[in-house]
Amino acid sequence: MWAVATLTFFAIRLIPGDPAQAILGGPGSQASQEALDQVRRDYGLDQPLIVQYLAMLARLVTGDLGTSYALRTPVAELLGAQLGGTMLLAVLALLVAWILALGLSLWSTGRGRTAGAVGEGIELTAAALPHFWLAAVLIAIFSTGLGWFPPVATGTPAGLVLPVVTLAIPLAGFLAQVMRESLLDAMQQPFVVSARARGESTTGIRLRHTIRHASLPAISLSGWALGWLLSGAVVVETIFAMPGLGRTLLQAVTLRDVPVVTGVVLLVALVYVVMTVVTDVASRLADPRLRQEGAR
Amino acid sequence: MPAAPVTIRSPWRRTGLIATAIVTAVTLAGCQAPQPEASGDPIEGGTLVYASGDAEPTCLDPHVGGNYPQALLAGQFLESLVSRDESGEIIPWLAESWEPSDDGLTWDFTLREGVTFSDGTPFDAEAVAVNVEHLQDPATQSSTGYLAMGKVDRVEAVDDLTARFVLTTPDSALLESLSQPWTAMQSPAGIARGMEENCEAPVGTGPFIVDGWVKQDHVALVRNDDYSSPPADAGHDGPAYLEAIEWRFVPDSASRYAALQGGQVDVIDNPQPDTIAAAEGDDAFTWIDAPRPGAANRIELNSGQAPFDDERVREAFIRAVEVNDGIEALFFGTAERSYSALSSAEQLAYSDEALFEPDLDAANTLLDEAGWTERDADGVRMKDGVRLALRFPVSTNQSIPAEQSLFEQVQATAKQAGFDVVIELLDLSSWYGALFAHEYEIVSAPYTKVGPDVLRILYHSDSITPAPSGYFANLAQLDDPEVDSLLTDAASTSDEEARADLYRQAQERILGGYYLLPLYDQQNSFLLDADVEGARAMPTVSTPTFYDAWLAG
Repeated sequence: MWAVATLTFFAIRLIPGDPAQAILGGPGSQASQEALDQVRRDYGLDQPLIVQYLAMLARLVTGDLGTSYALRTPVAELLGAQLGGTMLLAVLALLVAWILALGLSLWSTGRGRTAGAVGEGIELTAAALPHFWLAAVLIAIFSTGLGWFPPVATGTPAGLVLPVVTLAIPLAGFLAQVMRESLLDAMQQPFVVSARARGESTTGIRLRHTIRHASLPAISLSGWALGWLLSGAVVVETIFAMPGLGRTLLQAVTLRDVPVVTGVVLLVALVYVVMTVVTDVASRLADPRLRQEGAR
Repeated sequence: MPAAPVTIRSPWRRTGLIATAIVTAVTLAGCQAPQPEASGDPIEGGTLVYASGDAEPTCLDPHVGGNYPQALLAGQFLESLVSRDESGEIIPWLAESWEPSDDGLTWDFTLREGVTFSDGTPFDAEAVAVNVEHLQDPATQSSTGYLAMGKVDRVEAVDDLTARFVLTTPDSALLESLSQPWTAMQSPAGIARGMEENCEAPVGTGPFIVDGWVKQDHVALVRNDDYSSPPADAGHDGPAYLEAIEWRFVPDSASRYAALQGGQVDVIDNPQPDTIAAAEGDDAFTWIDAPRPGAANRIELNSGQAPFDDERVREAFIRAVEVNDGIEALFFGTAERSYSALSSAEQLAYSDEALFEPDLDAANTLLDEAGWTERDADGVRMKDGVRLALRFPVSTNQSIPAEQSLFEQVQATAKQAGFDVVIELLDLSSWYGALFAHEYEIVSAPYTKVGPDVLRILYHSDSITPAPSGYFANLAQLDDPEVDSLLTDAASTSDEEARADLYRQAQERILGGYYLLPLYDQQNSFLLDADVEGARAMPTVSTPTFYDAWLAG
């Protein structure tokens, strides 16, 4: 976490641009000297870089994320207000991606070459779709064309559909690819033969036995996926005009709002850490072998 | 110059009588304000949903900082002492009349009687004084309003309804400065709450009141039922027709248009040129084309350093570059080529098309004369081993995609004469950084201000001196004592004719020195659902006003 904070702090200072000037607006608003000085004093921007850096570290250690330059509110408050929306979006997208991926991989494996090829084709295409393009196409079809869902998410459940689907489709492509490989692998295992010998139907085998195997790599991938979804949120939140961390980050980077950028990056790093723990636990639940190892 | 700051280019009849009324008003060159016609009686009530593509303000108080997104919103709940009508004349608003002294150093404003802020605080001379103090206080972090009040020493309350502005030097731009939303009047009690609270919900005298702000989502505005102070050119008296405005922030232009098409929102701003062209053929929408006042969009040539310190090289660049076809193709006929430093919304704008006639042969001759005779393998001209390279930082926050493509055409056409234009697409802060460091030969930056005094900000040599932040507005780095004295005199004369003549001379000299290549007015468009009647853009800084607006059908 310390490394993340340090990297963010210096990376944003390496890009040219004066935060004080950015705080005071664009060329339409020519900042006066007094105002600039005032801003620099208020935000400690007149201090040497190393002093600013140490001050930030000292704050972070005490759990204080600082105050946004641009919005003049505490960063923790700001992120707290936006975290819920983005997490809801990311978790829903992850769920939908899982459902799509499971469905696709279960359908396409062990059904012969054509189904396999079609499945693989869909996965590759889905995984390669850029969010901004997918969002535009979905809006064109389901908002402008059919009028089913609004293009601007206003907090209603209907408004969430398109953003969630936009995030879920490429992720489902990734997950399905991984799942299908391990599913194919599991289908070759001796326990499948013995289950069959006990008279299990193909579907029964899939749902009861191989699916567990197939889900393992996908579970460990989900930790990574959630972080990836948070970055995808930057694009999706902008297009669908949803409030959230992604837009907060985008605005903060443009304004060189260092405390906010650091806050968002730290938060995402935290989500990664938490998700690694969660996927670890989930893997143990799905795979008894891991539990035994732990017991030994 | 025909001044047509607000035109609705809607060829269709079905869009309603208001549109016709506005078109008529423009045809009459501002002789009258748009009047709702008898047959289309306004309907009370309803919520108008506005989708803004401009950046979400970080503070709703336009005294703080002072940019266009703030002005867009503030226009709904704050009001100024004066306004401007279609013809550019200053008209009464919160001030009923005004009288400058003979020496131009004191101005007495007689205020409208019986106006109260929406928190109940009376609007009086003391309130005006508090507002000007607030603008001038460094703690407010005002930039636009602070500059506009630059020549004001103090405001004295002579009596309840007489506010006396005491100036340090005569200021012919005072009324124009006071007409801008960045100097609008706020409740002294509101200001006293402190910056944090006032940023969330400034208190004004306007037709709507800020009712809440959900960050990154919307600002809720509700009708001010006690409203009594419309500007002199408004269509009606009393409270607004609309019950509320939901002001949403929708950064993506395609989503905004989709939301308008789907009926999710009623008004969108910043439509892209292709969207306007598409919407124009659809009678479900009305297009309000309201160029911003102040400067036209233009490419500035940095005359402060080589190679553009040589006037011949500047002229060569302007002769070599061909932009008309690009503007036509990339803007789908929604932008008109400008040959002036000023917006066509400015009465005193001076144009000279002949100066900008493309002529490749002339460009080559000029460059030969200036000593750029050699060429390298790429066909780029050289002089004493130096390539004729032009750094062109482009702000992706300020230049829409069509404008960025236009700059590529500038690059391609300049190449023919042997210029190597190096376009750098930068975010706002990096772009500032490049300007501060003088790492540019050409640059394009918008500037919005009411009145021709914007010329002083952009081309007076005082504006070359950078603040320690590095900021300077004279990006052409034009340093000409004659231009300086013309602009200074124009800003302090009280004689209208002399002022017009001085600004004309100054513009002739600025354009004639080949310091800039005008492109088009600062594009500022709104697309409205045809059911929205009575909306118009303010002739001050072209922000939309919904005071007279109502929802039909």
